[in-house]
Amino acid sequence: MITDITDYDVTHEDAGPLGNQIPNYEKEFNSAKVFLQTASSATGDNLYDHLTEVLNKILAERPENVIDFFEEYSRKVKEQRFKPLTDHLEDIYVQPGRFSLANKILPILSPLPPGEPSTVDPEDLELADMSNNNLIELLYYLEQCGIGLPRSEMIFVMISMRNLVHTKPIASIRFWGKIFGTISNYLVVETMLKEEEYMKRNENYQEEQAPVEVQDEMALNRGEAGETSAALLEIEKRAGMGGEEGSSKYPRPLPPEPLIHYEELPEPPPEPSGVGVNKKVFYVCNDIGESWTELPDVTPKQIRTARQIYKSFTGDLEAEIQSYPEFPGKEKEYLRVQIARISAGTQIAPLGYFTFGGAELGEGGEEEDEFEEAAGGASKTHYSINPRYDPPPLTDLLDQSMSFWVHTEPYILPQGRTTWWNPNPMPDLGEEPGEGYGEEEEEVKPRGERVEPETGPPLLTPLSEDAVLETVPPWSVRVSSKILEGFALAVVRSNIWPGAYCFSNQGKVFRNVYLGFGHKYVEHNFSPLPLPAVQQEYPIGPEILEILDPTGAEEEQWRIDHLPKPKVIPVGEEAEGEEEQEEEEEEEDED
Amino acid sequence: MEIESLLNSLDTSGHYGHVLSVEESQVLYNSLLILQNENHFRKIFFWGKIFGCDKDYYIAYGYKQDALHGRIYYYGMDCNTWGLLPRPTPNGIQLTPLASTKFIGDPSLVIDILIEKDETSIPGKRKQPQVKQLKEEDRLSSTVHLIMNQVSLVPRGAWFKRPDGVIIDNISFEGLSTLDAREIKSFLHARIPTQKINTNLLTRDDYNYATDFLDPLDFDIPEGCWVIQITPAEDMVILKSLYWPGFIFYHYLRTPKHGFIYLGHGKKSMDLTFMLCPFFTSNT
Repeated sequence: MITDITDYDVTHEDAGPLGNQIPNYEKEFNSAKVFLQTASSATGDNLYDHLTEVLNKILAERPENVIDFFEEYSRKVKEQRFKPLTDHLEDIYVQPGRFSLANKILPILSPLPPGEPSTVDPEDLELADMSNNNLIELLYYLEQCGIGLPRSEMIFVMISMRNLVHTKPIASIRFWGKIFGTISNYLVVETMLKEEEYMKRNENYQEEQAPVEVQDEMALNRGEAGETSAALLEIEKRAGMGGEEGSSKYPRPLPPEPLIHYEELPEPPPEPSGVGVNKKVFYVCNDIGESWTELPDVTPKQIRTARQIYKSFTGDLEAEIQSYPEFPGKEKEYLRVQIARISAGTQIAPLGYFTFGGAELGEGGEEEDEFEEAAGGASKTHYSINPRYDPPPLTDLLDQSMSFWVHTEPYILPQGRTTWWNPNPMPDLGEEPGEGYGEEEEEVKPRGERVEPETGPPLLTPLSEDAVLETVPPWSVRVSSKILEGFALAVVRSNIWPGAYCFSNQGKVFRNVYLGFGHKYVEHNFSPLPLPAVQQEYPIGPEILEILDPTGAEEEQWRIDHLPKPKVIPVGEEAEGEEEQEEEEEEEDED
Repeated sequence: MEIESLLNSLDTSGHYGHVLSVEESQVLYNSLLILQNENHFRKIFFWGKIFGCDKDYYIAYGYKQDALHGRIYYYGMDCNTWGLLPRPTPNGIQLTPLASTKFIGDPSLVIDILIEKDETSIPGKRKQPQVKQLKEEDRLSSTVHLIMNQVSLVPRGAWFKRPDGVIIDNISFEGLSTLDAREIKSFLHARIPTQKINTNLLTRDDYNYATDFLDPLDFDIPEGCWVIQITPAEDMVILKSLYWPGFIFYHYLRTPKHGFIYLGHGKKSMDLTFMLCPFFTSNT
């Protein structure tokens, strides 16, 4: 820049009388500098200082292609300068965002405090077995399969699972997965409680359940009766008022009381804790460092409603579910239902890992079913690990027909239970679409007097038996490594519940995990249930039909037709009065 | 996602539960470097994966000069060999939203698409339902195009428009602050802007011609179609689109690192209106 100015000055001065004189660089430099240092009348800044600062910054940082961003740099320097010098806030320490997290997580990240030296044998303490819950190992497998959660999250889940086992009556525990919501997400662990705990709960449950049902019915009846009587009174009052105003000679009889034709379907009772869909108990938490909350048990109605709605999770367990049909419960119930549905549809194991009945009896043995008496039609609800399990080779697990994988969770019947409940003697009105292993073909059975028990595929059915849902094959299988076949894992991905995965390490280790939004895949977009047809209140008849008013000519004709026998009295008020009477008579007839 | 981030996808896309597997990331990292070299790309990105029933598609793109207009897409069935993804055809873009089946994993497969008589998304009058054909390769390219147009995004200030109109990465971008990251206006659609320049500029108090040339996200309807989550450690912001489940955008706060990846079935969720709470209140 300086050279530019001097060049200009040289030519300029050449023209002058002192042309041969050596240009006075110092003077020119000073004059240019003075110009550049002229303070802006608006801001008080000057270009000289600004350029110095910008060049300083650029030379210090030496960014690439700086010419393209020169304006940006210049602006930044200016912005910095505009910070008030007397900024009293400057010295205040602002705690970093992760400080609160550190506060929360640090107590967890420590070994458990040594408890009271108990005299009980550690075997009798019956703490849940954590040996299957090495989530670091799980993550190691998951990462090979192309799924996974950040390491910090996994470690947190693992540690807090250990703490959970010490505080709650848990017999076994497993990391189930994560469900994503709009505001925050849910980490989910699946637990089996101890037998005593289940029994305790079921005692309470039975005590509560039995009287509640009767009360409900009574309340319902009373409510109905109360409503109808109130309505009757209202009608009477109105009729009375009308009678006073009009001719009280002809009190109009009340129309027949409308009947409620809608019959509430008998509601199947929920399965008790520890059985069927309520076999497992789930704990969720929103994020790292938060405490676990237990989800309530599901009822069949919740399951049936959840199949008809499509809501995203918000991350708040107490959030209302605003939907049609109305969901009986809040988000925690909805979450629990979705977890149950996902579990029923996607929990799988390699063929032969589990077997029915006692270990000694093997596959051929007669199953001894604990829940036989509870079960209506379904059998075999209990299985155990096969001691003579022979891991199938990887090629079998990778077979596209999926016949080497079996379901390990009972199918949820259209009724919303895993075992069928007979609603006798009431006949069933239609069937809800099925659920579970993708068999949601809507088969509407004709309404019959005798209720056909709903059946689903039995436990440990191979995946190859799953129904294909509208051309979508329910499962896809991948191999985790094409290079190192000896170490490859078989990865099974559910297409019905996107986000559900299962992997197996040559059939030896296998785990199920779900990482998704908690929604079922809908081939064609979701369409909500249509509103029911408007109910009929009154029998259709002339009383409630809209008919055209008679025209003047028709009235006249009617009047002439109904004229009394010719009398000499001129047609006047009396005739009209007669007409009125006759009309009323007719109305009475109609009634 | 830039190839530098491929090797630690657990920390970024792991927030969505899906990552690139150990082997995939290794192979991709190297094969993409070779692809970059062959095509003389200034930068190369891994775009994501579209899950098919039989095979999955891997998609990558790069650019030579212009970060927005000069993108060239490649796809492959393994992570190793790459083929040029054809440009989306008008026919493909029209028919793709109507295709309801899953991707199969065979680019040459031709599927039939039924156009209902009263379909409004396709102009023209039809007397009876019509069947048109769509090749899976075209469908793939249209899907990628639609996703890029509808949900790809950059944090505000990450891109810089040079005076000659070329869009480049802003080297003086220092990342969003935690407060800014909670604001949906701080994220811009990485697409050719559809709003007028003055709309995008004048809706802000602190506008800047060189960075505010893109459409901000807050024009997207319905409110709540974007999920903004800040990790508990407040060092990263995650954006998910409910329209395209499987799309995840991440940005390390206060650093220029950002990127996105799509790991999904390639189907737009049209059920959003039923999924959201009618009185949605965003996370404030």
